Amino acid sequence: MNTCTTLRGAAAAAALLAGPALAAGDELTVFDWSGYEDPGFFGSYVEKHGSAPSYTFFGSQDEAFTKLQSGFEADLAHPCTDATRKWAAAGLIQPIDTDKIENWDAILPAIRDVDGVTFDGETWMVPFDWGNTGLIYRTDKVDESEISLQALADPANAGKVALPDGAPSAYAMAALATGSAEDYTHMSDAQFQKASDFLRKVHPNVRFYWSDPGQLDQALASGEVAMGWAWNQTELNLIWNDTPARMMRGEDKGIATWVCGYVHLKGSTASDAQVYDMLNALTDAASGKYIIESWGYGHANGDAFEAADPELVKTYGFSDAEDFFEGTLFFDAVEPELEARMLQEYERIKAGF
Amino acid sequence: MPLRTDTSKGLALGAPATLYVGLLVVAPLGMLVAYSFWTQTYVAIDHSLTWENYRSAIGDPLVRHLLFRSVWIAALVTLMTVLLAYPIAYFIAFRTERKALWLLLITIPFWTSYLLRVFAWKLILGFNGLLNSGLQGLGLIHEPMTWLLYNEFAVVLTLAHAWAPFAILPIYVSLQKIDRRLLEAATDLGSGKLERFFRVTLPLTIPGIISSSLIIFIPTVGDYVTPALVGGADGKMIANLIQVQFGPANDWPLGATLSLLAMVTVGIVAVGYVLLLRFLGSRIR
Repeated sequence: MNTCTTLRGAAAAAALLAGPALAAGDELTVFDWSGYEDPGFFGSYVEKHGSAPSYTFFGSQDEAFTKLQSGFEADLAHPCTDATRKWAAAGLIQPIDTDKIENWDAILPAIRDVDGVTFDGETWMVPFDWGNTGLIYRTDKVDESEISLQALADPANAGKVALPDGAPSAYAMAALATGSAEDYTHMSDAQFQKASDFLRKVHPNVRFYWSDPGQLDQALASGEVAMGWAWNQTELNLIWNDTPARMMRGEDKGIATWVCGYVHLKGSTASDAQVYDMLNALTDAASGKYIIESWGYGHANGDAFEAADPELVKTYGFSDAEDFFEGTLFFDAVEPELEARMLQEYERIKAGF
Repeated sequence: MPLRTDTSKGLALGAPATLYVGLLVVAPLGMLVAYSFWTQTYVAIDHSLTWENYRSAIGDPLVRHLLFRSVWIAALVTLMTVLLAYPIAYFIAFRTERKALWLLLITIPFWTSYLLRVFAWKLILGFNGLLNSGLQGLGLIHEPMTWLLYNEFAVVLTLAHAWAPFAILPIYVSLQKIDRRLLEAATDLGSGKLERFFRVTLPLTIPGIISSSLIIFIPTVGDYVTPALVGGADGKMIANLIQVQFGPANDWPLGATLSLLAMVTVGIVAVGYVLLLRFLGSRIR
């Protein structure tokens, strides 16, 4: 909170000092997940433009896509790497000029090379935040030596499992569980069948398919479920809540990594200078330090980890950022046809078919 | 020329509503029909006309299953709500002088948002919710009951509560309209209380029962948020599948087809229900 107040103060002061030469900060519109309007993420932008950008929010990437395709206009948006190919194909986004991104070389190579950042000879996204998706379990209810993705299908865990409502995340888990993580984005028919069979085996154990992370956090905290496939945010919430729970880690255990970032929308009306000022502010090591320390999320800028409090970096598991990505499945864009099959099949599985 | 004036007056009076309905109901409905004959190809729409969406939707056991369940849940909700609403409406119409106060009290649930009422049920029925912790505190149960939430039962309960006032008001109006002299006449002619109710009161309130049933049945078949929040995997309804098509699956044409199928199903069931009640009503006399 202190950081927020200081920044807001700084913003107000800067607003008084900044002359009319610079465009007002709020002329830039960012289409984002709720919460990312946190001024700690773009301090240098506020200093330069006198105020924070305007924010409009979406609840899911699909909702954002639908809204943009129906003509909604903004300057920047914040999807994840699995969506960029689709957004580019729909003509919603324009390429990024990486020469204008001051911190481009500081971005962790593993993050910069994720599919969905650069493809078809152009860079489409400036990576910003990342984290894990994995199996979070109650350490007091499930023994550490027994936890595995296979445990989800164990009849002993009937009614104690929560899976995500979204198909891509569930299939990523199933691909990890059935040994086809490498081919997740282009599974063969046999691999797809194996993954679907796994999800069908888990279905009788599922208490609910979560679509709202808060629902999962509460269910894990109360003991309603003992394990769930979820984002790192859930793990952090449980740590902060003193619930004995953790995410299953370890190279061969099965874990996935999501990477999200900012894209330059085609309908953007703000000047390029202003857009790139914002992108530079977001990728600044200072912003990274803030998101690591206050949110417990990974940041794209490698320098941010050195700037951040080493104690917190360790608590949140970022001590060796490169090691973090060993053996992980990245949420890349799944082939459109396969993705459609995943969606239709997962609806069947969830309905017990 | 009084006729001309009347006609133009009528047209002028009807124009705003006609325009409003035309723009906000007919046009979107037309778009829905058009979409249902198109095809989604990744991020674009193929505008050539085809029955393919209908063929695949009707041939899909999941769609049939969800449609059937939606109708079943809505029917249960309607039955429960009307059965519970009738005595309340009867009480207000015949047994109390403070009608305005009672009607006001009945609308109280509407003072909070629909979403909040659904969430309230989640808090009551939840694993460590009001009911479970209360019963555990009293020592009546030792383990939280898990059958309360995430199933059809939770959906029916939540919807029946949320829609209760919609059932009470139309039934109340039809009871209120009954000419009290008819009841006196029935008594004079030797009817007992029960016979008087079944042969006079009930048949005269059939229009009220029909309208409250339809007011509840039609919207609940397509309810999305209640099954999404309290339904779990076993309480999903057709609207949840429609949302998937318009959202994650990004297949608007199939979503439009499913919406139209749901509308047709509702229409058929509703017409059948009205005819059945009319028939039964005429048999009573």
